[in-house]
Amino acid sequence: MSGNRNYDFLIKLLLIGDSGVGKSCCLLRFSEDSFTPSFITTIGIDFKIRTIELDGKRVKLQIWDTAGQERFRTITTAYYRGAMGILLVYDVTDQRSFENIRTWFANVEQHATEGVNKILIGNKCDWEEKRVVSTEQGEALAKELGVPFLEVSAKSNINIDKAFYNLAADIKKRIIDTAKTDPSSSNVPVGRASTESGSKCC
Amino acid sequence: MSDDEEGEYNTITHTETGRRVKLLYSKSKVYIHPTPSAKDNIPGYIALLQQKGLSSERPTSSSSQLSSSPASSDLLLAWLPESSLGDAASIYVKVDLTDDDSPPKQSFLVPSPPTVTTHRGSIGHYAFAIPVSAIYSLLVRPPSLGWWFGSVVINTRAGDSFPALFFHDSECQSTILQKKKLARENFDPFGEHGQVFWGGDEILRWLRRYVRIERSRAEPNIYLVEPSREDSEGFGGKASSSTPTQIGRRDSSHGISARGPTGAVGASPAGPSRQTHDASMDPVMKFVKETGWNIMEKFSKVTTFTRKTAQEIIDNPKIPPQVRRLMGNPEVQTIQNEFDSARIYLARWAMGIAEQGERDRTQRIWTAKDVMEMEDTDVGEFELLETSSMSLENRRNRVTFKEWNGFFDSHTGRLSMTIDEVKERIFHGGLDPDDGVRKEAWLFLLGVHDWYSTSEERRAQLASLRDEYVKLKGSWWERLVDLGGEGEEGEWWREQRGRIEKDVHRTDRTVPIFAGEDTPHPDPNSPFASVGTNVHMEQLKDMLLTYNEYNKDLGYVQGMSDLLAPIYAVLQDDAMAFWGFQHFMDRMERNFLRDQSGMRNQLLTIDHLVQFMDPKLYAHLQKADSTNFFFFFRMLLVWYKREFKWMDTLHLWEVLWTDFLSSSFHLFIALAILDKHRDVIMNHLEHFDEVLKYMNELSETIDLESTLIRAEYLFRRFQRLIEAIDKKQNFPAPRMKPKSSQTSAQSSSSPLPQQQNGKAPEQADKKTISPELRKLLSRNVEILPRKVVHKQGDGFTA
Repeated sequence: MSGNRNYDFLIKLLLIGDSGVGKSCCLLRFSEDSFTPSFITTIGIDFKIRTIELDGKRVKLQIWDTAGQERFRTITTAYYRGAMGILLVYDVTDQRSFENIRTWFANVEQHATEGVNKILIGNKCDWEEKRVVSTEQGEALAKELGVPFLEVSAKSNINIDKAFYNLAADIKKRIIDTAKTDPSSSNVPVGRASTESGSKCC
Repeated sequence: MSDDEEGEYNTITHTETGRRVKLLYSKSKVYIHPTPSAKDNIPGYIALLQQKGLSSERPTSSSSQLSSSPASSDLLLAWLPESSLGDAASIYVKVDLTDDDSPPKQSFLVPSPPTVTTHRGSIGHYAFAIPVSAIYSLLVRPPSLGWWFGSVVINTRAGDSFPALFFHDSECQSTILQKKKLARENFDPFGEHGQVFWGGDEILRWLRRYVRIERSRAEPNIYLVEPSREDSEGFGGKASSSTPTQIGRRDSSHGISARGPTGAVGASPAGPSRQTHDASMDPVMKFVKETGWNIMEKFSKVTTFTRKTAQEIIDNPKIPPQVRRLMGNPEVQTIQNEFDSARIYLARWAMGIAEQGERDRTQRIWTAKDVMEMEDTDVGEFELLETSSMSLENRRNRVTFKEWNGFFDSHTGRLSMTIDEVKERIFHGGLDPDDGVRKEAWLFLLGVHDWYSTSEERRAQLASLRDEYVKLKGSWWERLVDLGGEGEEGEWWREQRGRIEKDVHRTDRTVPIFAGEDTPHPDPNSPFASVGTNVHMEQLKDMLLTYNEYNKDLGYVQGMSDLLAPIYAVLQDDAMAFWGFQHFMDRMERNFLRDQSGMRNQLLTIDHLVQFMDPKLYAHLQKADSTNFFFFFRMLLVWYKREFKWMDTLHLWEVLWTDFLSSSFHLFIALAILDKHRDVIMNHLEHFDEVLKYMNELSETIDLESTLIRAEYLFRRFQRLIEAIDKKQNFPAPRMKPKSSQTSAQSSSSPLPQQQNGKAPEQADKKTISPELRKLLSRNVEILPRKVVHKQGDGFTA
């Protein structure tokens, strides 16, 4: 099965954030380069795949998308554990979604694998006239939480690729490159490395 | 509960000591094809039974049996699904395999199947037994051009027909044996003349042993059973009438060669019948048969399969247009992109082809009418009308407004038949999507109207419900002034309002009434102020805000907009839609609790159900870490709305609302979907993510009609299995356990006998039936007590 795979590494990512901030739209933009304004609500859980190239290696990203409403959190947190990277998404036109990032972050700390890479994403940055969360506020929160930060727009295709690439590169650095320097564990499957490696990047 | 047990007891007594019938002949692998999909075919036995076989005297030799031949009213021609035979199955097998032309020397007694004289009487179950005296004619169609299987249709004297019975000869041991025997005796079973021995011949042979069968000259595939003189003359049967002792085989060879210009079979070279039929086969099936399966099977086994190879397949000039169409399907391309794994891609592809092929090919397989039309005969109009009047197909006809109105007394407007009769019709047929019957019927199905109310009562009820809705709406209108006001409650309300706003703008926007954005948004602060709205979306918002207020313990939760939209779209009346939705929520409420207990319980029930019904599949899912059955989450939360197309969803919901077989019939829909994809899952999906993706991708590709039929079949099978287990556990065989009389006396009076018995040491390893599974047999909708909602609702509670 693993003999003929057409990628070198598999990385699992997870999108979380309030309902309606545009998680599915970000994912759709990244995986299929398309955007639908009147989208449907995400119920349950789903994932999409995109294979990217990082430092000459083919990295397959499996990105999990979840329902945003906190009512479904008991179910969605079950999927935190397998994730190697988490995108915390808020909507720059929605103050409350920004405030809730702290709750989401606490949830990640509680349920996700220790040392999991994170990135803070402020979506809908194209919509200046509706903006209520400034870039500075976003930066400040990111600094406080100790995570990288990007403002993006799924609609205008701003920074979407960058967000995923950056996160994937961080994960590769943390897990794969570390694993390689360790002579005893060369060629360790990525999935296992993620749970065994306790190294932190932040 | 104890009443049920009592009833069960009676049934068993009846079968144990009750009427038994003598099994004269039986033949296995005779199928009913309820839908165009081969996956739904139901295997069974056709059998000839003799009633009043009370005396257990040894059957006499076949010659004297003729003179003491039973009356045709004592003979039953029956079809029984394999799953219904229970303990009698081994007897059916034994008789099927009796290598003799005459009935078995020994008397084989089996339980008497339900006897009917018309197809109408056997609604709901496919099994039937009809006295031979009630059979008017048989439409016998040997395997031939374009038809894989030979078939027999029973036309009754009452004027209707039973579903066509298809003889899957290649699976039937007795037919295979017969063929071999003929080969031994005659040296050429298939002969240079191309006559084919098949299962249907034997049915005629059985009957001829006891009754007069005349072949119609006007329509060579019609065999009249003990026809009157008028019938004989009318059908010109004299020419090929045969005495009871004549064996059918000669007639059948006659039949084929007598087919004249269309009887190409007669001229085809010797060989297994099926291969001679390819000439007119559907191009897909032909491709699949000749080359396709080989290619596909090969490739699906080779794990090094790459997309390049897929391209090579596409470039293959032999690929028929249907396959090309399939390859061009964006769905297929998406899968190709998202699954690197060629196995899955190919498996789905192969399944798609098989389905497409089946659909193209077997559209017309299932009714007598269609069989006859294919025959291209000159049978009179009246015969066509008769045979189609109560076919399986008609039973699944939609209930029209006219039919619906006929259910009610024209003066009082009160229902004039039983609720179950109405529900049965809707359960099997659904409601007409176009004539407005849903608008009325849904109010009953949802529980807004009482089934036995008069039209006067309903008018009054509607008026008061309208008033009440306006009043409820008023309670949050006050909040609009200060947008919910200060404090926690204001905060909660604003958040809920924002959530509803966002969700309504992404609910069913492809459905015409919710598509428009022609109205300026009333709230300039809404994120949708710049795109606009429409009156129906605004109504949805109002109703959801009202519900948020009405059920404050729970509040609005994502998914509710999905449940409301269809109701509103059908009723097109906000007050009525609100109350319909409110009733719907009574049963759905548990899915929206914070602790997700409702969803967890349902997923657990599915877990038990799959384990019970299909242990092999369950074991595979276990290996694939998929027994959380999380891929059903979406299906259960919004009742398959994302899996079926809009119009199908409306149909499905009205079927589910009937609670006709079970208030949890939606879980059998889940099982049916799983069952249908069982082979792909077992052969190709090995990990949780693969299973989840595969199931999610089924969205809008599932065929409703066949899913409903499969779900009903699975339910009945489940029911029978439970009954069989209960029977065993409640009534252990007395001679094996000396003290069992005491045990069974205890158990029949105890409310929970099966649990008591379960504790007995000799039954410790017996399967127990979990309470979750037992609940599946209930038709009562479970509604959560308010205090549970209050505690777990996570809404706003002051």
